[in-house]
Parts: sequence; C-alpha cells; structure tokens
Amino acid sequence: MKKIISISLSLALIVVSVSSCENELPTHFDFNSYNFSDLDVDGGSWQPILLSSATDIELAAPAEVNSAEYQAELSALKSATQNLTGNQAEAVQYWTNNPIIRWNEIALELATKYNLIPPPNPDGSYTLPTAANPEGPPPFPFAHPPYTSRMLAYLSVAQFDGLITAWHYKYEYNRPAPYVTDTDIQYAYKKNTLPSYPSDGAVIAIVSRDILKAMFPLEHAYLDARAEEHLNSLIWSGSNTASDIEAGTTIGTAVKTVALARASTDKMSAAQTPRALSDQIKQEAFDRFGWAWDNMEVPVRPVGLTPRFGEVTMWSVPNVEDVRVPVPPAPGSPAFETDAKELNSYAKNISEGQRKIANWWSDGLGTYTPPGHWNRRTKEYIVKYEMNPLRAARTFAYLNMAIMDAGVACWDSKYYYHYPRPIQTIKGFKTILGTPNFPSYPSGHSTFSGAAAEVLSYIFPAEANGVRSWAREAAESRIYGGIHYRFDSDNGLEQGKQVAAYTITRAQNDGADD
Amino acid sequence: MKKALLLQVFCIGMVTTVVGQTYTDATMMKKNEICIAMMYEQGTWDQYWEGTNLITNENIGTFTRSTYMPMIAYGITDKLNVLLSTPYVSTKSDGGQLAGVKGFQDVNVALKYEAIKKDFGKHRVSALAAVQFGTPMTNYLSDYMPYSLGLGTQELTGRVVGQYEFNKMIFVRATAAYVWRGQTEVERPFYYNNGSYYTTYMDVPSAINYQAVVGGWALKHNLRLEASYTTLNCLDGDDIRRWNMPQPTNKMEVTQAGFSAQYFFKSIEPLKGLSLMASFNQVLDGRNMGKATAIGGGIAYQFTF
Repeated sequence: MKKIISISLSLALIVVSVSSCENELPTHFDFNSYNFSDLDVDGGSWQPILLSSATDIELAAPAEVNSAEYQAELSALKSATQNLTGNQAEAVQYWTNNPIIRWNEIALELATKYNLIPPPNPDGSYTLPTAANPEGPPPFPFAHPPYTSRMLAYLSVAQFDGLITAWHYKYEYNRPAPYVTDTDIQYAYKKNTLPSYPSDGAVIAIVSRDILKAMFPLEHAYLDARAEEHLNSLIWSGSNTASDIEAGTTIGTAVKTVALARASTDKMSAAQTPRALSDQIKQEAFDRFGWAWDNMEVPVRPVGLTPRFGEVTMWSVPNVEDVRVPVPPAPGSPAFETDAKELNSYAKNISEGQRKIANWWSDGLGTYTPPGHWNRRTKEYIVKYEMNPLRAARTFAYLNMAIMDAGVACWDSKYYYHYPRPIQTIKGFKTILGTPNFPSYPSGHSTFSGAAAEVLSYIFPAEANGVRSWAREAAESRIYGGIHYRFDSDNGLEQGKQVAAYTITRAQNDGADD
Repeated sequence: MKKALLLQVFCIGMVTTVVGQTYTDATMMKKNEICIAMMYEQGTWDQYWEGTNLITNENIGTFTRSTYMPMIAYGITDKLNVLLSTPYVSTKSDGGQLAGVKGFQDVNVALKYEAIKKDFGKHRVSALAAVQFGTPMTNYLSDYMPYSLGLGTQELTGRVVGQYEFNKMIFVRATAAYVWRGQTEVERPFYYNNGSYYTTYMDVPSAINYQAVVGGWALKHNLRLEASYTTLNCLDGDDIRRWNMPQPTNKMEVTQAGFSAQYFFKSIEPLKGLSLMASFNQVLDGRNMGKATAIGGGIAYQFTF
C-alpha cells in the first residue's frame, strides 16, 4: 500500500512538472503601447480612397480648453482613470495606442469562424448561405477567400478614410491631449503631441464595428461589445474626453455610410451565380478551349465558388482583362505533362520540408484564408516599424485593396479558362490538401500573395526580399499540396504583381510619400 | 501492454484492444520472464461524430486504420513488469482524394506494479498500478485528422486495476486511468479553437478512461475469454465544426464494447509459451471520432531469460 501511495505521488509530481513545461498559447498579438516613429502631421491632406478629401465630412470646432464644459469633461476623465478595475486595466493594455491592430485581428477571427463550406443536405442538394436569412442553416456568410478579401478591403479603406479625416481636424483644431491640459490626468500609453479632437480611437471603433456588422450580420452583439470596450478604454486610458469621442463617432459614422454604399453596388451580390449561369460560363470555356473544370466532391457541388467574383468592382485596376493571365498549356500537352509529372513526384515522395510548406500556407477552410495570413504578417511589420494608426490604416488599405483586386483578377481568369484541377486530370491522384471548389488556373494563393508581397515591399522596402520569398513559398505550397500545377502558381504570382503595380501607383500619389 | 496505444488509437477513430490489453489487465510476468508479441488490428468506419452528431461524408467514404504493434514485456521482479511497444500505423479511405499515411507512431513504455495479490481459498483479489509514457517516434503530422498516425503529443497515463477471480475460472476486473496529454506541434501558424490561436502548438485534451471486464477460462484453462466495456472521455476541447476537418484539440469521447480471446499452448510441449489472440470491438457512442468496428489478432511468445 505504501508503495502504491509513493507511486501515485511520484506520478502526480511528474504530471505537474511536465504540465508546467507547456507553452501558454497566444490568442492575439502580444505588444505594448509604443512611440510612433512619425505622427504624419500632414496626414489630413492625404488623398482618401472613398472621400474626395478630408473636408467631405464636416466637424464643428470643439469647446475651448478653458471652457467650463471642457473642464467638466476633464474632471470626469480624471476620476474615470483613477482606480481602474482589473478588467479595465486589462482592456487598456489590450487595445493599446494602435487599435487598428486589434480590429484587424477581430476581422480575421470572424473570417475564420465563418469560413465553413455549406454541407450537403440529406437529399444530396446544397443550400447556399444568404444575407436574406443569415441564420441559415447554413449561416451567412461563408467567409471564403474572395469574401474575406473584400471584407478586409472595406474595413481597411474605411479606417483609412476615417483617420485621414480625423487627422485633418486634429491639426485644424489642435486640442491638446487631456494630460497636457490637466497634468493630473494619467495617460496609459506613450506620450506624443497628437491633438486629441477628434478621437482617432473612436473613429476606428465605429467604422470597424459598423463595417464588420455589415459583413457578419450574426455578430452584432459581439461587435457592439468589442466596440463598447474599445470606446471605454479610450476613457480608462486617459486618451480622450467625451467630446473627443463624440467627434470621432461622427466621423466614423459618416465614413462607414460611404463605404457601405459602395459595397452595396460593387456587384458582390451577383458573384455566386445560379446553376444555369454557372453552366453557361462552363460551356463557354469549353467551346473556347476544349476543357472544363468539374467539382469532384460527392455529392457534386453544382456551382463553383463565386463564378462572377471576377466582375466585382475593382479598386485600382481599370479593366480586369488587362491583368488576365495567358492561355495555359492544354491538358495532355507536353508542357502540361511536365507539370503533372512534378505533381506525381511529390505525391509519391514529399519531403518533410515540403509538407510543412504546404501546411504552413494551406489557409483553407476554417482558417483566416490567404488574405488573412498576409494581414497577420502586415500587422507584425506595422508594430515593428512603429507606425501610428493613420500609417497603419494606410498600409492595410493598400494591402487589402491590392489583395481584393488580385482576387477579382484571379477569379476572372479562373472562370474564363475554367481549367480542371489535378485530381480531375491525373488518374488516381491523391493530395495532402483539400481541393477547393473552383477552377485551377491561376492559383488564388499565388495571386493574393504576389500582390501582397509587392505592396509590402513598397511600404517596407527593407523587408522586400523576405516578403517576396514568402510569396514564392506560398505559391509553391499549392504544388506540394497537390492542388495546383506549377503553371497555376507561376502565372498567379505574376498576375498578383501586375495587379499590385496599379495599387502602388495609386499609393505613390496619395501624398503620404511626400 | 498497450494502454496508451489504445487511447491514442481510440481518439483518432479506432480502438486497439488485443494489444492494449496488456496495459490494462491483471496479468504479471514473473521475474526474468519475457513476452514478445506482434499484434495487428484493423478498424473501419463510414460514419463519424461531428461533435455529437453522427454523420456520413462520402468524400471520406469508408475509412480504414491498420495498426501493427510489436511489443515486449519483461519481469523485473514478480511484482514489477516493464512493457515497451511501438505501433506502426497506416490509414486510408476509399472516398475523396486525400492521401492516407503510414509510419511508426509513438513509442510507449510502461511500468506495471502488482501491489496486492491475496488468495481466499480458491478466490483471488489483485490490485495493480501502472504508469505509462508515450512520445512520438517520428515527425508525423498530427494535424491531418482523421488520417494522421496519432495525436503527436507526449502522453502520461496513471492507471489502477482491480480484479477478483472466482474459483480461478471467472473474473471481473475494473480499471481507471487518467491520461495526461501535452501539446502537439503542427505545421500551420494559426488555427481556430473557439477563438484565434497564433501559434503552431495545440493543446491536446487530457482524458479519463474506465474499463469493466468480465472474463473466464475455458478448455482446461488454455483459453481466456473476455468481454469489455470501455469509455474514454477527453476532459475539454472543442467540437469539429460543421463539415470541417477534425483537429487534435477536439474533445473526443468514445464508448465501446469488445470481446477478446487468447489461447495458450501451455500443454503442447514444443509450443509452450506461445499464445494466439483475437479481438473484436465496436464503438457504440462517441464524439468527434469515427464509429469504428475493429478486428484484431496477434501472436505472443513467453519465455524465461
């Protein structure tokens, strides 16, 4: 009996000691408030994306700092910043002085949550998600890569335009930060000379909440709660008084209205076509080239993913056909056989390194998608280079406009060429990644990544080599995974670069580089 | 001999008992006795539980997991045995286009201690404790379920076993185990587990395992027959999301019934020490795993060193 006790005790000890070796798993990017490398004092004069200029939105002058009204706000702020509860202090720490980062993470998390493909019904049919009945089943949206690229583009563009407007009025009215006027107010973040009216944080909270509510209609309560905590954190951190926040809310509301108006007319609602139109698109491709892609699932999905996403309004490319990829090698041709042979060799014998690359970039169903992957890396650079929220929003805006344009261009080519996947053309072919429900050529991962890497190379020139090699790796990963031919990846990468050139030209002329 | 093995295999959709039994039974090797065994089990399913909802997926079709398990056990003393096993697993399915995998899974080592053995006339009571450690032998990818070879994590199991034998003919046995599992390193830098995770590590849920066995001896004590009822429940974890792939963080649960037989060639002199095993197991209920039917067989040879 003694022995049993001692064995049990030592077992318990081992369990405890082994458990303590486990890593704490991060659920968000861990960083603290930081000094901005530049305040971009002239940011209010930059060219917005949706507005014609920052002055499209009017904002009244704030009360004078020595007015009774403002002094009352300051004293309310002072008492609110004293004796924070644990949860309040945690919220201040979490949101930081660049909350663009947090809203981007929230967007990625929702994309991940909703990136689930509709299952078959018992009779073998499929029901598609619809905004008219978001509860479903299946729930709306299916946050696939085109959907997510568009969601991120509207989020980032609205944040950017909102902050350009905020910057304009900050430097027009020059209301000092609360802790400058009242030195008794504790400010939780790194101090700088950025004027506090209107609150940039409130602009971000409102546009982000409202764009994401439009994109994820089942998440209103969640998004309201996140925005409320964010807005409260502006008080708890001593960043802004009530009128700063109210002014930020005014701007945020005006900008989101403009952004959602564009979204309602960008033809996304027609991207998922009915069966008849899908069949017609396929027949046209077959007549043109003599091949057509088939969905290989059981039961067969009658319509591929968003056949007309290629017709959605682009941000920077005037005509999608200008960036259409060249005609691919016909199935069975020598050039095709070379690439098919390569696929067979990986299927037969893949190295651990290649397998890891395939999985690292897989970003398939149930994940934040390739656009999300690139947003995550961009976030890390934004903090590394200590960008202020306006610069951060600009970075995400051009990144995500380029990524969405890349998606539109890629989808145009995908359904124009309607090229079959390797599991369709190579008999008995098996893969280590799931084959997506849309044509093969060109590779979406490659196009998204090619565009993202070029925009990041423009914004972070010191990182150009790194991000371009990542894009190349992302493109290769689809070959290792068995779901794309090399010509899909090479041409996709090139198409992404071409799309990004339009985006970068636009960025170079927005005034931020001056 | 193979409790840990049993558990891992369990959790990815099939159950091993022929071999697994040695880890959970009340049989002890005497000092300097060695048992070497080779066991095989094949589990198949064509339905699985997505959360608690039993579904079919024609893009998987019928899934098959085959396990080859070499094992060796040694009597350090009459009361303390050490066991070692290294399963080789292969997986495949006849629907869809995802490739199966094969390779060595985990190495498992266990110490089994007989704390109590008391005879009351022709009846006997015994109680045992076992501790078992398993760790991946190869760099297999755990995050490729249901095809993955195993859960890709270290596993530490503490087990107690109690048995009552009537007239040396009929016995009942109960076991309880806590299976602590660590983390598994996967190949993607982000995943969803009721929220975002920015890491290549996943927490693999720990589990509680219970088993009840009724058994008896036949054919002049040459044939041992056992019927078992087993549960294994992860203590936390998430459910497979709708029409999504499973992952190692899932809360896996299983209830299964099994039957096994082992024939000892004790009375045939040239074959003394040899035994043959067979098993059948059926998953009755589960969560986030396949509704597997498994058949197994094995051969063991026991001798004194």
